[in-house]
Amino acid sequence: MDRKCATRLLTTLLLVISGWWSVTAQEFALPSAPNSVKFAAIGDNGTGDPPQYEIANQMTRFHAKFPFDRVIMLGDNIYGGQGPQDLVKKFSQPYKALLDMGVKFYASLGNHDDPVNSRYPLWNMEGQQYYSYSTKNVRFFALDSNKVDQKELAWLENALKSSQDEWKICYFHHPLYSDGGTHGPSVDVRVVFEPLFVTYGVNVVFSGHDHIYERLTPQKGIYYFVEGAGGQLRKGDTNRSATTAMAFDQDQSFMLVEIDGNQLSFQAISRTGTTVDSGTIQRQVRPAAPVARLRPPAR
Amino acid sequence: MSEVLSRRRRIALRVSGFVLDYLIALPVGCAAALVWANTFPESYYRFAHATAFLVNDVGIAFFFALITKEVAEATIPGGALHPWRRAALPVAAAVGSVVVSIACYLAFVHNAGEHMLEGGWVAACAIDIPGSYIIARLIFGRHPAVPFLLLLAISADAIGLACVAVLQPIGDAHVAIGLGLMAVAVGSAAVLRHRGVKNFWLYLLGPGTLSWCALFLGGVHPALALVPIVPFFPHGRHDRGLLVEPEPQAHDTLTLFERWWRLPVEGVLLLFGLVNAGVPLHGLETGMWAIPIAALGRPIGIVVAAGVAIAAGLHLPERVGWRELLVVGCTASIGLVFALFFASAVMPLGPLLLEMKMGALVTVAGGGLAFAAARLLRVGRFAR
Repeated sequence: MDRKCATRLLTTLLLVISGWWSVTAQEFALPSAPNSVKFAAIGDNGTGDPPQYEIANQMTRFHAKFPFDRVIMLGDNIYGGQGPQDLVKKFSQPYKALLDMGVKFYASLGNHDDPVNSRYPLWNMEGQQYYSYSTKNVRFFALDSNKVDQKELAWLENALKSSQDEWKICYFHHPLYSDGGTHGPSVDVRVVFEPLFVTYGVNVVFSGHDHIYERLTPQKGIYYFVEGAGGQLRKGDTNRSATTAMAFDQDQSFMLVEIDGNQLSFQAISRTGTTVDSGTIQRQVRPAAPVARLRPPAR
Repeated sequence: MSEVLSRRRRIALRVSGFVLDYLIALPVGCAAALVWANTFPESYYRFAHATAFLVNDVGIAFFFALITKEVAEATIPGGALHPWRRAALPVAAAVGSVVVSIACYLAFVHNAGEHMLEGGWVAACAIDIPGSYIIARLIFGRHPAVPFLLLLAISADAIGLACVAVLQPIGDAHVAIGLGLMAVAVGSAAVLRHRGVKNFWLYLLGPGTLSWCALFLGGVHPALALVPIVPFFPHGRHDRGLLVEPEPQAHDTLTLFERWWRLPVEGVLLLFGLVNAGVPLHGLETGMWAIPIAALGRPIGIVVAAGVAIAAGLHLPERVGWRELLVVGCTASIGLVFALFFASAVMPLGPLLLEMKMGALVTVAGGGLAFAAARLLRVGRFAR
């Protein structure tokens, strides 16, 4: 075998391997059980730029295999202008295919969002900065981490306490834990939210704000995800630490999540359709332990 | 060099002990908060959230009471506000300062896409009275520009406080109960004054407590509780000037009140700095620049409004020209305690509040700006 032939063979082999890797990487990693709860998560998405559209296209593509019926939005849903035309360019147009298929979006607001847009019908907030809804055995709590007042905390405590759902999922913009280099964790919010989460058995928390994808090691028994790269991206912005279970900061991304019984499966997918993280979480069964709770000023 | 030092000492000795306390207590509290919040943030925020109500809604009421005492004294003969029309131009300048500052604030948060901060515009009004006074005294010494600045700052903060009280109701407001209690509080203070009661404790424990409850129940920030009560305290016949040490032999109720409360208020200011100034030095959004940008617009607002007022027939104080006015405007760009207070009053806890607090701290740089402007324009100590 001459050198030329060997080179060709090696090139072909490399192409086959990379093609195979590419196909498997784009493979779908979720069980997609017929009666499971399926949803997607995006954060910091509303730029109106091509990467947001490309993520939206990937979401549509994956929807064919994994028919999620809702998308949770982790804030900064619209950047810059917030008028009707912006809502079209930065929301209803990129996600048109999903909206047309009946997928519902449930937003929480980020610091770049205009509070007025909580009345935007396609975000299903009904004018509320924080709200709750459920499907099957899962209850979602969309919170406002921008301005946390006693009213919100009282509402959250009451809502968590009265929820009999097996899974309690909270989502909001500012992460309680994050290894994002630009922002990092919002500790001031953590000290008021976390005790409630722990006391009332919140299972998983999703946030945005840092423009990366990150899965953190469980904190006080709760799983935390940061998904703030649904349109924005800060390449290489992860300061890996002991709390980093997995991080991806090289491309925009979104998450798919499935809850079937006591099992939650997740998959983080990049703009090119590559799976950057996936796994399974067993529902934590924790006795409601009394935790010292902190209240913000009485006002 | 020794001459400069002795002059500095003389300047320092002429200001009230209240201002000197402020100069020490607040920076210590702020510095401790910054170090704590950036080293052990979780324990810091636990402490800050747990003590915020006690400090921001109760303790700081005595700081505002001392400020109110200065204003009340300024209305008596010899005071800067006697007769009232002397304050017309500073009030007009304050209105300009507030309008332009708020406009700059809103324009910035809109253009920066920080829409969530729009609700915090009241903090743009804030001028730190003791802080700007210290800078003004260092630049101007004893000069009519200093009381002008103080009246301007008091007026701007009064507008801000009124906005906090009226436009930013807190909790579930029971307006009728609040108004009723306030009427009783003010009425009982008037009765005490009429009967010649000189013990300030009776004013504080009776009308003061009632006033605090009235504001709290009425949905108004209770830190302002002593503002309507202090003017009823018996006072001396003459005022030596705003934020000037009272005469040693003075024994009127206002003076005794200041002497007794100076030290506790020093502790309150230290705690206020500790509770409110703890912000992360890393990771804040561009919204933190909103308050400093608003402060930068303040000199423009002051000069323009003063120009309009002069065109309408008012007069600048003696030895105060346009250059002095511009330096006064730069001095007024310090927001510090008042900006921190307004921010905490209008914004619930969370990252947005931290951005606003950081902005309030950044306005300390207004002192440097004032010195630079004074040097450039050859004003005050740089005129020589």
